[in-house]
Amino acid sequence: MLAVGLSLAFGIMGVLNLAHGSLAVLAAILYKKSLVFYPFSPWTFCVLATPVFLGLGFFLHLIIAAPFRKLSLSTGVVASLIASLGVALILEDLFVWWQGWEPISTYIIFPTFNLMGLKIPGLRAILLGMAVVTIGLSTLFLKKTDLGRSMRALAQDRETASLCGINPGVTSMGAMGLATILAGLAGIFYSSLYPLGPREGLDLTLKALFIVVAGGMGNLRGPAIAGLVLGFIESFAGVLFTYTSTDTVVYSLLVVYLVLKRCGRRQ
Amino acid sequence: MKWHTSFSIIILTALMLSSAVFSKGYVGIFVFSLIINATMAISYDIPGRSLGLISLGHAVFFGLGAYCFGIAISIGLSFFPAFILSVILSFVVALTVTLLMAGLNHGYYSLATLGILIIFQRLFETLESITGGSAGLYIPETISKLHCHLLAACLLLVTIACHVFFSRSRWGLYSKETEASEEAAETIGIPTRTVKILCLMTAAIPACMAGALHLARNSHVSPASGFSLTLSITALLASRVVPVKGILGPLLGVLFITTAEEVIWTKFEGFNHAWFGLILVGAALYQGIDFKRRNRISTTAENPLSR
Repeated sequence: MLAVGLSLAFGIMGVLNLAHGSLAVLAAILYKKSLVFYPFSPWTFCVLATPVFLGLGFFLHLIIAAPFRKLSLSTGVVASLIASLGVALILEDLFVWWQGWEPISTYIIFPTFNLMGLKIPGLRAILLGMAVVTIGLSTLFLKKTDLGRSMRALAQDRETASLCGINPGVTSMGAMGLATILAGLAGIFYSSLYPLGPREGLDLTLKALFIVVAGGMGNLRGPAIAGLVLGFIESFAGVLFTYTSTDTVVYSLLVVYLVLKRCGRRQ
Repeated sequence: MKWHTSFSIIILTALMLSSAVFSKGYVGIFVFSLIINATMAISYDIPGRSLGLISLGHAVFFGLGAYCFGIAISIGLSFFPAFILSVILSFVVALTVTLLMAGLNHGYYSLATLGILIIFQRLFETLESITGGSAGLYIPETISKLHCHLLAACLLLVTIACHVFFSRSRWGLYSKETEASEEAAETIGIPTRTVKILCLMTAAIPACMAGALHLARNSHVSPASGFSLTLSITALLASRVVPVKGILGPLLGVLFITTAEEVIWTKFEGFNHAWFGLILVGAALYQGIDFKRRNRISTTAENPLSR
């Protein structure tokens, strides 16, 4: 889900948002803090968090995307990369100040159920189902609604889309809002399964970027498949080498992939 | 002599003198950080300005230099053989990294350099028997602090000389053409890949040497401090934050950033990344505003009716 959001942001706005993972961490922290007041389930909190993250996405658009809209693609990508790195660093320090160094975990006990003799952990199955539903809804939104179609048109050809009456500013703001919602939901799901460190945002973003680069920018199916492949690679690397070397393996693959594809050589 | 050249010479002279006078205590550490950061920023500025490449992993070369020097010292070599060996080792690794990176452009280059930085950080944390793991490598004092300061000052001068010669040589012009349009540059016969490799290696070697001198001065390096994202960002910011021609921009940038860093460390403990972040956002927004302003000026110049 993280990668799908990142892919939307890059495909439509040309923004490599390095603060994307930090938004997921923010959602996890908000969820954990909200549990003090009321024991929300992850899915209830997802519904409540959606408008908050939509607003946050609009605000973020004003900082990391809108000021660079008129720059050339290469300069714009670099400028948005620097600005989003800045936002990520600010958020990381704020998280440590607010939450401390303690990893954020919102794990809830959920019964395991049997399916034809197979023991399936209930929470994982539900979260997987919710992730599939979210990606499916996002795909439907992009394909069936006017705003979604405008987003896809903008991703294909910005100038022609503008000539056809599509407002690039409003459309990219919508895309950023959708990408931020996906990041927030991913953070809530992730923290329900694994503990998430307050400074893990950049790591999450880089892994998501790997998935986006491998799966293709601006579409939803490619990153979803690449995400599954990355999951397998991480699991096998953990078994074949050591658990600590999984990051080295993943980032090495990212660099090798970029080098072999010689990405960005012809813009 | 142009004003920015005279101003650069004044700042450099002040740095050289203070490096010789203050070699101990807190002021000594601050002056040494200024010189090392200036070396990093000016070496970063070589590909940054001429090729327009934004690297988030310039600290890879710094960490490599430091670790190669540390490993050479721990096998029993004295300062100069260890320093030379570390430069040779770093050169080989830096060349490999540069050969890999030379094919990438723009955002992808930045992304790959950040990936490389994290790979090295994690790799040096894992190779515990050679690198000391996350605790890092400790070495005994090999030369006096004063000699270390003087060597660092010499390295800064050599880096500035490399910057000036590169930007004035035909390779500097080739790299500017490569930045403007790689395809056009190839069409007129410029070996763009060679230009990129030469440019990136000219930036990598001073950074490796700075890493070795940093370890010799402070006796300790860890994966977090050697392959530090903060160090990469300091170099990036210092070379961009003051929009002045020549080496004055990075020099003033280093003075501003390093002083700000010291104040943040002492007064706002725990918020140093956030301050860096604010400066990064400010620098990026300035780039957008500056582009709009220049665009408005050129539109006004082209259209007499709009005057």
